[in-house]
Amino acid sequence: MTELSRLMLRPWRDSAFRILALALLVASLALTSVVLLRAELDARFNARGAEMLGGHLVLDSSRAPEPAQREIFSNLAHSELIKFQSVVVHNEQVLLVSVKAVDQHWPLLGEVLLSDQRFGGTQSSVQHGPEAGEVWVADQLLDRIGLQVGDALPLGQSSLRISAMLVREPDQGGGFYSMNPRVLMNRSDLDRTGILAPGSRYGYDVAMLTENPEAISEQLTPTLRPDQEIENVDDTLNRSMGPLKQLTLWVSLGVMLITVLCGAAIYLTTGLRVARRATMAALLRTFGASRQTIIRRLLGHELLAVLPVVLIGIGCGGLIAVSAGNALGWEGALAAGASEWLLVLLGPLTLFAAFALPRMSALAAVPALQVLNRQDHQSLRRSGIELAAALIGPMAIAAILTGSIQDLLLVLLLLASLGVLLPALIWPLLLALDKRSQRWSVASRIAVRRLSRRRTTTLPLMAALTLAMAILALAGQSGTGLLSEWQRKLPANAPNHFILNLFAEDQQVLEQWQQQHGAIANPLYPIVRGRLTLINDIPVREAVTKENDRADRALNRDLALTEEGRLPESNLVRDGQWHGKRRGEVSVEAELADSLGLKAGDHLTFVTSRGELQATVTSIREVDWESFAPNFYFMFSPGAFVEQDATWLTSFWLPEGDGRRVAELMSALPHITLLDVNAILERAQGVVTQASQATAVLAGLLVSAALLVLVAALLATADQRRADQSLLRALGARQALLRKVNWLEFVALGLGAAVGATLIVLAAMAPLGILLFKGQLLWSWWQCLPLLTGAGVALLGGLMGRRVAAGYRPAM
Amino acid sequence: MGKTVSGPEGALTLLEAATVNVKAGETVAITGPSGSGKSTLLGLLAGLDVPSSGEILLQGSAFSALDEDQRAARRGALCGFVFQSFHLVQDLTALENVMLPLELQGQRNAEPAAREWLGKVGLGARLGHFPGQLSGGEQQRVALARAFVVQPKLLFADEPTGSLDHANGEHIADLLFDMNRATGTALVLVTHDPALAARCDRQLRLEAGRLHD
Repeated sequence: MTELSRLMLRPWRDSAFRILALALLVASLALTSVVLLRAELDARFNARGAEMLGGHLVLDSSRAPEPAQREIFSNLAHSELIKFQSVVVHNEQVLLVSVKAVDQHWPLLGEVLLSDQRFGGTQSSVQHGPEAGEVWVADQLLDRIGLQVGDALPLGQSSLRISAMLVREPDQGGGFYSMNPRVLMNRSDLDRTGILAPGSRYGYDVAMLTENPEAISEQLTPTLRPDQEIENVDDTLNRSMGPLKQLTLWVSLGVMLITVLCGAAIYLTTGLRVARRATMAALLRTFGASRQTIIRRLLGHELLAVLPVVLIGIGCGGLIAVSAGNALGWEGALAAGASEWLLVLLGPLTLFAAFALPRMSALAAVPALQVLNRQDHQSLRRSGIELAAALIGPMAIAAILTGSIQDLLLVLLLLASLGVLLPALIWPLLLALDKRSQRWSVASRIAVRRLSRRRTTTLPLMAALTLAMAILALAGQSGTGLLSEWQRKLPANAPNHFILNLFAEDQQVLEQWQQQHGAIANPLYPIVRGRLTLINDIPVREAVTKENDRADRALNRDLALTEEGRLPESNLVRDGQWHGKRRGEVSVEAELADSLGLKAGDHLTFVTSRGELQATVTSIREVDWESFAPNFYFMFSPGAFVEQDATWLTSFWLPEGDGRRVAELMSALPHITLLDVNAILERAQGVVTQASQATAVLAGLLVSAALLVLVAALLATADQRRADQSLLRALGARQALLRKVNWLEFVALGLGAAVGATLIVLAAMAPLGILLFKGQLLWSWWQCLPLLTGAGVALLGGLMGRRVAAGYRPAM
Repeated sequence: MGKTVSGPEGALTLLEAATVNVKAGETVAITGPSGSGKSTLLGLLAGLDVPSSGEILLQGSAFSALDEDQRAARRGALCGFVFQSFHLVQDLTALENVMLPLELQGQRNAEPAAREWLGKVGLGARLGHFPGQLSGGEQQRVALARAFVVQPKLLFADEPTGSLDHANGEHIADLLFDMNRATGTALVLVTHDPALAARCDRQLRLEAGRLHD
């Protein structure tokens, strides 16, 4: 055996080192798996975001880019698209369509899903656009103007062959199709159609692939015209994939909390290890070793011995990340780069150094005689510094690991301050108990004294238990909160079909058809097309001084207005009061209300096909546009549409089955517009499923880390407990008394920590709500978890006491 | 009595067919080289361990045959201990340490007796001190007070001067024998020190698990 391996193996003889090694193993395992999983998630969702955007960066313009701009992206793989609205006329049917003309490079990312017929056809995925002379069109276009795959589509001055039905485009985003059906054509046919002429309104997008979007964006920014803007993957993810933003924050929070917990476990077990090394330190000191020599010898050998543990932890963490990735259906190599691997290696070592160094150096500074006398060498001040380091150290590391200290700062500060403050509050309470315990039973007296007389053991133990309990509850609460929110937004039977232009007399036919095919129907909304003309009797053009894009869009077209007495689940009243059944009132979507400067009490006038429609604004609503439910800018109180021409809009969930069912409906009600959103829904549900699974994996790791702290806390005091029990036994204590002392000690510990943890959980609700749940406070049974865990700690103490008392032999 | 334990290389005899009889008020020294089984014998006599063969009687009634709790109760009521490394509870003051065995016996007002015994060992002014604030000699004096406070019939002392310098060791030994005489307590003393052993009424020598008079 070499000298090196002897040095590495020697510490393993000490059980305290083995516990410390276990804490480090879990720390490196948890950190590695979380950091790798987060890198994987980032990479996957960035790839998905890039696919939805159409590239890593998109230059969005209303005409072709400038030559200077072309120079910037000419060396990059890029695709140029032209988007515009046009009218298709066929068999006396007129239909407004949304055209996208793509070049030979489109799509830069992802695949196009096509079908060879409207109902029940064969689907295929391709990575190119339509050939010249061909178009791919959305299903509703075929329904609305009675064409089939293979027919010719008249477009402008030319006619293009419909070679496939378009099921899904990679870059159509996470939301719905435009209400106007999509026509996808080859750009080379554009001139032939003659649709676009000077002055025509169209969009010109340049999608690019680049390793460094920030750099390209920086180069492009100074050259932007007023009509141009740059869109990146983050914009897309933030806009259309709410769960991902929540998941990213949750993962960051998770990394931070795991680091805090593992730090606490290392701190507790290091204390035990240092206590066992006290004699060695004292001996070295007596032999004339300098402080540096002692630190180098004790800490250096320790570092050498923990290195393999950290490496094994990293290996296991890597395996967990790969297995979790496989379970989630992710294939391919790990996405983590050099910086992540460096973090993975340095994280646990930094944690170890941060917690071992202060304690070991304190030991080296103590006079040899004092250590040999086995005196408590730590002053309270030093203990306080160590405690603060134990709480702040891992948080700083976590902040570096997550790279998002700003987002987490509030939670971070809260945990740090409460983690330090709570023991400081609990301590005087324990001292008061100590005084009062003079008149209590001997078991209570001994139990209270064990806690109140050992501040350097009790305070970190209490802090660690408090944090572990608080984090267990917070992890459970926020994790299940996220899952249920995602589930609520996107339930398994979220509507996968939408119907527009339904008449009152069609409702019975639709209802029968839905019953026949096991469809789950959703509410029907009456729709009246109307244009906002007056705000408080002033023409909107004068009333609205500050125009923006959204306001402009709302004012320049007919809006779909509806009446409804019940507030939809995906809506939340921000200002005012929901109208319920009151007459003559209207509720306005918040962002539009802000852009038009609308507030409760304003009087609005709309012009519809039957004249004027007036109402007073009584509420402003936040609308969740990502929900798969019909949403409206203006919702009137019931009875507003009595004299209006209304059609109906509804949605329903149709179980999987063949396309003939929908064909039947279209044949019975040929005038309706049916939107099949299955493809979009599947993609959104895929995101939610992956996010949910990742949340569950992380929650599992968090729970493991919290349990590790609990175990470390108990193990760290096991030696002392054993010595105590031994002496009491030699002095004539019965087993029942030993059990009672142990039990009472753990009841006090568990309850104290539980009360502290409950306070932390309650205090953390506001920042967590702001961070993850749009400011909403999340009340749940998870808030009771610390008390339950406290009861569990007391029970565990009782059981442990029984075991210790039964299995322990007093020694001379 | 005998004591055998199983080890990695088979059964190991720690003590072989030893017979010890300690009379009331008698002082007995057990001597012998390291590893001869002195501490094993003391542990058995004190009921901290049970013999593999034979039996131990305390005041004429079975002791080693009792269960652990019963032994603890009898030990608490009849025996006192003084250890080489003092074994004081670090978190308790000198006074609380001395009160502890009385409290374990269920005595409600243990403080006056504890104060009295600490006064007898010369620590009346240091009642509120924690063990860490006391010297080795002082700690052993607290241990003596703790041992005598229950007015034991039998006192077990395991190298009581082993951790102390000569002067302190002498002082503790004087105290031990003085209090032993004053209370009529029997003393079983394990020691390496021939001078200390010589102060006892009787000496037993242990060698390789065998007891010689």
